Amino acid sequence: MPDNTRGVFSLIIINKAGGLIYQREFQSGLRNLSTNDYLVLAGTFHGVHAITRSITPKIPISQPAPSPATSSTGITAPAASGYSYPNPGVPVSGLDYLETDKFRMTCFQTLTGTKFLLFTDPLTGSVDTIIQKIYELYADYVMKNPFYQIEMPVRCEAFDRHLGAWLRGRT
Amino acid sequence: MAAPPRHATMQSISNGGIAPGTDRPQTQQTQAQLSQQSPGLRVPSNRKTIYDRHLNRSRNAELSRASFAFLFGEMVTYAQRRVTGIQDLEKRLNEQGYPLGLRLLDLLFYRSTSTSSSALSSSSTSSSPPNRPLRIITLLHLIHGPLWRLLFGRAADALEHSVSPDTPNEYMITDNDPMVNTYISAPRDMSMLNCAAYVAGIIEGVCDGCGFETKVSAHNQPTELWPSRTVFLVRFGDPVMEREKVLERAGVK
Amino acid sequence: MSSTKTSRIGEETRVDKVNAELVTLTYGTIVAQLCQDYDSNYQDVNKQLDKMGYNIGMRLIEDFLAKSGVGRCANFRETADMIAKVGFKIFLNVTPTVTNWTSDNTQFSLIFEDNPLADFVELPDDGRAQDELWFSNILCGVLRGSLEMVQMQIEAHFVSDVLRGDDTTEMRVSLVRYIEDEMPPEEE
Repeated sequence: MPDNTRGVFSLIIINKAGGLIYQREFQSGLRNLSTNDYLVLAGTFHGVHAITRSITPKIPISQPAPSPATSSTGITAPAASGYSYPNPGVPVSGLDYLETDKFRMTCFQTLTGTKFLLFTDPLTGSVDTIIQKIYELYADYVMKNPFYQIEMPVRCEAFDRHLGAWLRGRT
Repeated sequence: MAAPPRHATMQSISNGGIAPGTDRPQTQQTQAQLSQQSPGLRVPSNRKTIYDRHLNRSRNAELSRASFAFLFGEMVTYAQRRVTGIQDLEKRLNEQGYPLGLRLLDLLFYRSTSTSSSALSSSSTSSSPPNRPLRIITLLHLIHGPLWRLLFGRAADALEHSVSPDTPNEYMITDNDPMVNTYISAPRDMSMLNCAAYVAGIIEGVCDGCGFETKVSAHNQPTELWPSRTVFLVRFGDPVMEREKVLERAGVK
Repeated sequence: MSSTKTSRIGEETRVDKVNAELVTLTYGTIVAQLCQDYDSNYQDVNKQLDKMGYNIGMRLIEDFLAKSGVGRCANFRETADMIAKVGFKIFLNVTPTVTNWTSDNTQFSLIFEDNPLADFVELPDDGRAQDELWFSNILCGVLRGSLEMVQMQIEAHFVSDVLRGDDTTEMRVSLVRYIEDEMPPEEE
């Protein structure tokens, strides 16, 4: 069987509060960090991600336009008056990826605040597709498992199995 | 009075079965007061009640598998909060499946006899009486084939009789990949648990509804290819086995 | 997002299917079990159904987002459209009508023409169920749970149900507030 996991090093899932809930390598022999290091990495990244959101530059606008959330609901959503993001229609995201000569770390944050961090070879293509598929597998084999408690570490045998099988079979 | 037969307590709420016999004495007073004002059920002004809609309307209807998974998962979670161990949990799931078996049995018979216009006169008792299974094998084939197809869109994967001379009353129905377990991973300390106990309850309901007293349980029998392979162990009661012998001698099929 | 585009997402999202009767009967046996466990105290049954729905909603939202691929809604009107035309379409294969908006756009009704959960259901004829039980109350919880996960606090309840002899089945949904992010965009 061809090993298509080549190019995908590992996956980390971080919960809303910045806690590490899943960590897995897809290649044998990768040098592991200690569990504690992974926890620190998750927490640190969570913080950095939040900072990158908050330092997104805002430009002053002459006439304060109501933010999209307030325009039709009448309920005050948190929004700046007098300042606006460069492209107000697009929500502010945090750090999307980090890249070095040796690897690329892509972060996908769901609208619920869960973060999927995928470590790949910088040359690996279609990372977004891979992450999207991982999110679907997570929705199936983690969220639909009654024995999984939300926000807690993911220990779901079926998730591990399907994730591994899909990555191996990917062409 | 002794406990009523199991299915006698499962009626009303047409698709689930709120037990009418469970009204506690302390609630009867308020009920009596209220029921004076509202005799019978109210219906919408267009009078569209369940009796006006064809029973085969949903015959080939499909719904999202995710919706089933979420409902079933919540049933498991709810049951888990009220039990002490794995066996207890499986018993509860079995009990939740049981009323489905009783209802599905009627639905299967109804549909196997009403493909023609006779559906419109379903109240007439004489026309063509449904073929209720009299022998164990006929019943098991009904479960392995038509029941499985109705529920899961395919037949079960195997039907076997116990090879042990000590347990001639035991039969096994195998499902290589039970749909109800698709998304479920039991925690390590509950590795014996099989949530398909719900399906075991459905089978039990079907058997009981046919007059075959049975105990059905679901067991994990994983293989490398089929990690969630499940064997449903069907154990018929002694009276059933005795009757089976009589029918055998009489040549009833 | 335009309303027709929303409908198209609801139509086109790939959905794995199962027999509808299995879903209907499974929901029925859940409600029946609750009625038994709570000695037909229907207020408690309603509450428990809402709670179960809430638990489901918190999980179901991930499935909704992962499979439909939709992004954040710009306002509550868009959210209502998304619930009716994508959410209900994907999970129950029905599209309730969104109507009866309040002028401040914070409250609307969902009118259900069809409700697969209540297919073939008749409430117990005990003189109380038709006045007290909201058979499909789990749906209110599902909306509350899923919207909370995408930073909206809402309140939802049924105001009529054909099972009670009403002419329509209507759920009322109210936006309470948007929940602020862990890191508010407004710097100190």
